[in-house]
Amino acid sequence: MALLIRNGYVYDPMNGIDGEKMDILVEGGKIVDKLKSAEYEVIDASGMIVMPGGVDIHSHIAGSEVNAGRLLRPEDHAKDVELKTEITRSGVGYSVPSTFTTGYRYAKMGYTTVMNPSMPPLEAKHTHEELCDTPIIDKATYPLLGDWWFVLEYLRDGKIEECALHVAWMLYATKGYAIKLVNPGGLEAWGFGRNVRDIDDPVPYFNVTPREIIRGLCKVNKLLHLPHTIHVHTNNLGKPGNYETTLQTMKCVEDLSSGDKPCIHITHCQFSAFKGVDWREFYSGAEDIAKYVNFHKHVTIDMGQVIFTDTTTMTADGPFQYILHELTGNKWVNHDVETETSSGIVPFRYRRRSYVHSIQWCIGLELALLIRDPWRIFLTTDHPNAGPFTSYPQVIGWLISRKAREETLSKLNKRARETALLPSIDREYSLYEVAIATRAGQARALGLKDKGHLGVGGDADIAIYDVDPRKIDPSTQYDEYVKAFSKAAYTIKEGEIVVRNGEVVKVLDGKTYWVKVSSNSEYEVSEDMKRRFTEYWTVQFDNYPVSEAYLKRSKPVQVESEV
Amino acid sequence: MRKIENVICPVCGSLCDDITVYVEDNRVVEVENTCAVGRAKFLNYGLHRKPKPLIRKNGELKEASIEEAVRRSAEILTESKYPILYGWSSTSCEAIRVGLELAEEVGGIIDNTSTVCHGPSILSIQDVGIPSCTLGQLRHRADLVIYWGSDPYSAHPRHIERYTVFSEGRFQKSGWRSFIRRLSGKLVKKRLSRVAELILRRKLTFPEEKYALPPYFISEEERKLVVVDVRKTRTAEVADYFLQVKPNTDYEVLQALRMLVNDQDLEVDEVAGIPVRTLEDLADLMISCDFGILFFGVGLTMSKGKLRNVDAALSLVRDLNKRTKFLIMPMRGHYNVTGANVVFTWQTGYPYAVDFSLGYPRYNPGETSVVDILRRGECDAGLVVASDPVSNFPASAAKTLVDNPLIVIDPDVTPTSMMADVVFPSAYIGIEAEGTAYRMDHVPLRLKKVVEPPPNCLPDQEILARILREVRRIRRG
Amino acid sequence: MGILISPKRLFDVPVHARCITPDTFSTLSLSEILNLEVHEGNRKRKLKELFEVSTGPYTSPEGFTIWMKGDFSKVRYIGYGMSTGKIVLEGVAGMHLGEEMKGGFIQVYGDAGSWVGSMMQGGRIEVFGDVGDYTGAAYRGSGRGMRGGEIIVHGNALNETGCYMRGGLIKVYGSVGQFTGMHMHGGTIMVGGETEGRDGAEMTKGKIVILGRVPSLLPTFKIEAIKPRVKVGEERVEGPFYMFTGDLAENGEGKLYVSKNNNPHLKEFEKYLSPVKVK
Ligand code: SF4
Ligand SMILES: [Zn+2]
Repeated sequence: MALLIRNGYVYDPMNGIDGEKMDILVEGGKIVDKLKSAEYEVIDASGMIVMPGGVDIHSHIAGSEVNAGRLLRPEDHAKDVELKTEITRSGVGYSVPSTFTTGYRYAKMGYTTVMNPSMPPLEAKHTHEELCDTPIIDKATYPLLGDWWFVLEYLRDGKIEECALHVAWMLYATKGYAIKLVNPGGLEAWGFGRNVRDIDDPVPYFNVTPREIIRGLCKVNKLLHLPHTIHVHTNNLGKPGNYETTLQTMKCVEDLSSGDKPCIHITHCQFSAFKGVDWREFYSGAEDIAKYVNFHKHVTIDMGQVIFTDTTTMTADGPFQYILHELTGNKWVNHDVETETSSGIVPFRYRRRSYVHSIQWCIGLELALLIRDPWRIFLTTDHPNAGPFTSYPQVIGWLISRKAREETLSKLNKRARETALLPSIDREYSLYEVAIATRAGQARALGLKDKGHLGVGGDADIAIYDVDPRKIDPSTQYDEYVKAFSKAAYTIKEGEIVVRNGEVVKVLDGKTYWVKVSSNSEYEVSEDMKRRFTEYWTVQFDNYPVSEAYLKRSKPVQVESEV
Repeated sequence: MRKIENVICPVCGSLCDDITVYVEDNRVVEVENTCAVGRAKFLNYGLHRKPKPLIRKNGELKEASIEEAVRRSAEILTESKYPILYGWSSTSCEAIRVGLELAEEVGGIIDNTSTVCHGPSILSIQDVGIPSCTLGQLRHRADLVIYWGSDPYSAHPRHIERYTVFSEGRFQKSGWRSFIRRLSGKLVKKRLSRVAELILRRKLTFPEEKYALPPYFISEEERKLVVVDVRKTRTAEVADYFLQVKPNTDYEVLQALRMLVNDQDLEVDEVAGIPVRTLEDLADLMISCDFGILFFGVGLTMSKGKLRNVDAALSLVRDLNKRTKFLIMPMRGHYNVTGANVVFTWQTGYPYAVDFSLGYPRYNPGETSVVDILRRGECDAGLVVASDPVSNFPASAAKTLVDNPLIVIDPDVTPTSMMADVVFPSAYIGIEAEGTAYRMDHVPLRLKKVVEPPPNCLPDQEILARILREVRRIRRG
Repeated sequence: MGILISPKRLFDVPVHARCITPDTFSTLSLSEILNLEVHEGNRKRKLKELFEVSTGPYTSPEGFTIWMKGDFSKVRYIGYGMSTGKIVLEGVAGMHLGEEMKGGFIQVYGDAGSWVGSMMQGGRIEVFGDVGDYTGAAYRGSGRGMRGGEIIVHGNALNETGCYMRGGLIKVYGSVGQFTGMHMHGGTIMVGGETEGRDGAEMTKGKIVILGRVPSLLPTFKIEAIKPRVKVGEERVEGPFYMFTGDLAENGEGKLYVSKNNNPHLKEFEKYLSPVKVK
């Protein structure tokens, strides 16, 4: 069905459109400049905001660790349930929603593309099976490659090209989209219950340092021309003083960027911007990080904004999760994956009266407000680690309104309120900047050419929010915006209206993006490789890859590599 | 004869994926690499399978078409006020996905067989969590392997050889040598050495020695195998150390061990008949290893104390992580019972015992678990997929099941299918149909189809999808 | 004013009736009450389809009163979350009686199912017959069991009474199953009869008083003293009692009092008492 979206205030930063009143035409799932068919539906968007569908660069929505989190928390689900309807499946919500509920709730907020950021390659089939049951949204997933034995060995031996070919195969075998590193080297050390201290602490038994892994995979990423950069969860995440590690991590690939193109993404940076020596002497390192990012174009980051709520932390960072368990005494799941990675899960409550949690809340917002270029800082909560994705509208409120921040600040821990920098920051995001931080910037960082904009030829993934920017002042009436962003007036996915007035009206299956590298030297799986494979894993080489049949709608992204 | 390699054995939770199958005239004629249990399944599955679906008419099961059987099933399910849908641990994840949709559509209770094996474990995991891993992690690293209330030699025959003590890893060598050295008979030694060499693909050398080792000897340089059980099992016979506990005292023993690994003194001299000194030795062994693993089986989950035995075991292992690396894993029985938990969880949030009668998933084992529902006589229709509750459930539960309309989907003829009102002979998943299954450590594997199923035997997924379609047709008029 | 309610027939499948509370009924007219929604298995029903409901002059000091007569054994969540008024049930109550209750009074002249008063925060439940498992417990995966109020059972209780309990009082005058006070973090449990053992397993705080016989004690409890009497709520219960602390496997400071006279087999513990402590 063709659509004419009439008279909305359009925010399309990639095309430089900042709240102009204009029409958007949709046909055949794409944005067009002229409608071919005479029959079309008219959406009257006057007095409403029209934006590209939301894009989320980092949200744990599927796979073995997410599911272990679901299993761990019946008490979290029982109070937030979704009834079955004629068109939608039932499910449970709150911090780790069931798959169907995840898809519906994203769509209701006007989000149409979500990246699942951590997939143990051995369990890739699991991730894809869940993504198939996550309706409406488009998605992709990043295999964890930073502690993979093959990578460690190639990089130890300085074999970058071999490593690149291998990573290309891995992206194919797992139907992955980007290279994910989590506490590089630390997870292998966690295999024996240890960790690495900093980016120059060699990985036990492997004689390679996190620095070499980060640099190596950054080079691999470039050789392969992958659409996204390496996606890094830093070493020492969650430890006071770790902002230095983060700075070192960003610095260590400084020379690898070409032009203005970013070459590293530091994810949920809030958790990696801690200053101080312990939990008492604990401060924000956001200013230092922001300063660095403001002067270096090779970095993009996302916030990992803390929400004061009861949530579930889950990362591949086994040692970090164990420490969290020790700190809180909460129940703890650990799942180490042979030869590849680990993961951990601990329920967690962020409390306003806690000094540390209050500072963490400030750090996320400080990063977003101190980094000047909105194209390089993205709105996330590292769902569900710092809070569930359903809190994004709340975060938007804090970004667009100083008053909203003050409101929350007034309820924070007193010491945090008095020491933090945040209260002195005046900046308020414009809606144009919001559109960058929640869709355009993320799509660009991901190299998703058809997403995050409303230019002709782009995917017709569109969100329409019922709030009039000419009448309602974001700065003072921010709650109107929070409400509007929570319940899209319309969400359009591939040209179909899937949400109306915040309710799902049509369910369709989203696509799964993955990267298909074509290389000069077609990747040959040697017998030696197969033999090593059998030694390294407990599954046979033939049974390892994820066939395309596991993707309901497969969307390979072709790239030409240099190797 | 067709040779198919790297086939996955659809029998136990070890889900061995290195099986070679030889097929002739659409029949499996030979298999390699399986254990005896797996072999028997490949060679003898579905021998008594009926050629067509059956429907009970005037008290007798009569042959029917698939369409008739689907219609009758849909009628039974739509008429029911509280149907149960049970089984799911010996079928594919694809079938389970459809099963969940069907359960939701008919407002029923869906439960898998973990309700009668590791359900208690899951309840305790929800209370204290679980530090675990994939099996390869153990192969490479574990230097202490404990099987508690589980006898892999009988239930998961290749588990030890593929994943734990006898497997060979990057940081840990196989424990064959110390085992063979402990044996006294020369011939046995020789035979086993050959087996070991075949599996390890390298020669085993033995240092010169005069005497065989004593039966229980903790070797310093190789992995150690410890078995804790109420009786001396076959696995216990090859163990470096065997601790016999009195039936129904696991909880006390585990709690006492927790105190010891936390460096607290026990006031008593013995716990459930075991001298505290013995427990201290075991606690020392646990603390001093580099990487330990505790496998537990139904011996722990089904003895007195049930979920709380597992609670104590999980807590023990969690506590041990203050001292060293220690992990724990349930020994899952049916080949895809883990997959059933996994799929249930991603679709509903809960791993088993899910009640859709209110239109959304509800979970409260004890209340919403199938055995308890049946025992209280609360259900009025049933659908069973690839399981035999009539033989396994308590008599009162089985009675409710067969007293009400019952649909069975199974490749085999079972006591349950003989009591049913509608029977679908189905394709054997993993031999006659493809599908996904999850190994006990949550590693997903693609089961293969090596032969064609008989003409009227559809895969579970297909049968369920047809019933679902028919149900929707009835409901929407 | 009050309401009389009784089942029209025997139910074969579970009936979910969270609406049967004084809080709900007291604000509605009879015809509104009759049309309240309940579930019989997967079917939506009106209250009047399943129950005979009438008004009557039922009052009690607690306020609005619901008088229930008959077999409610399949009816779940009676008195769910109630905060005021009274429910008197002559017959059998189903599972989750008084779950998440905050105030008011429920009296059952008969048995009740499992999860009586689970997660309750206040009010009083009195059952004259037996109850099932998980009295005053928490929902699966949650560490927040009963936090306040009182549950009094004149008959017996099954396993895990007071699991994850954090406050309030449970009295069972009959005997109990295993794992009384499992994972208990606070509050008081008194058992008049005997237990099947493993009392106070993994408790960290709170008080358990057992007047009858226990088969044995967990090895993770330490004897502290012999006390002549102990306080249970407002009441003083005469002993003497062996007093243990535990569960030491959880570094717990829970107190477990076990009748000395009814447990002669525990005498061996006296040797661990330093002489000063024996009174
Ligand atoms: S151990 Fe289990 S999976 Fe492996 S061959 Fe034997 S029965 Fe099959
Ligand atoms: Zn993350």
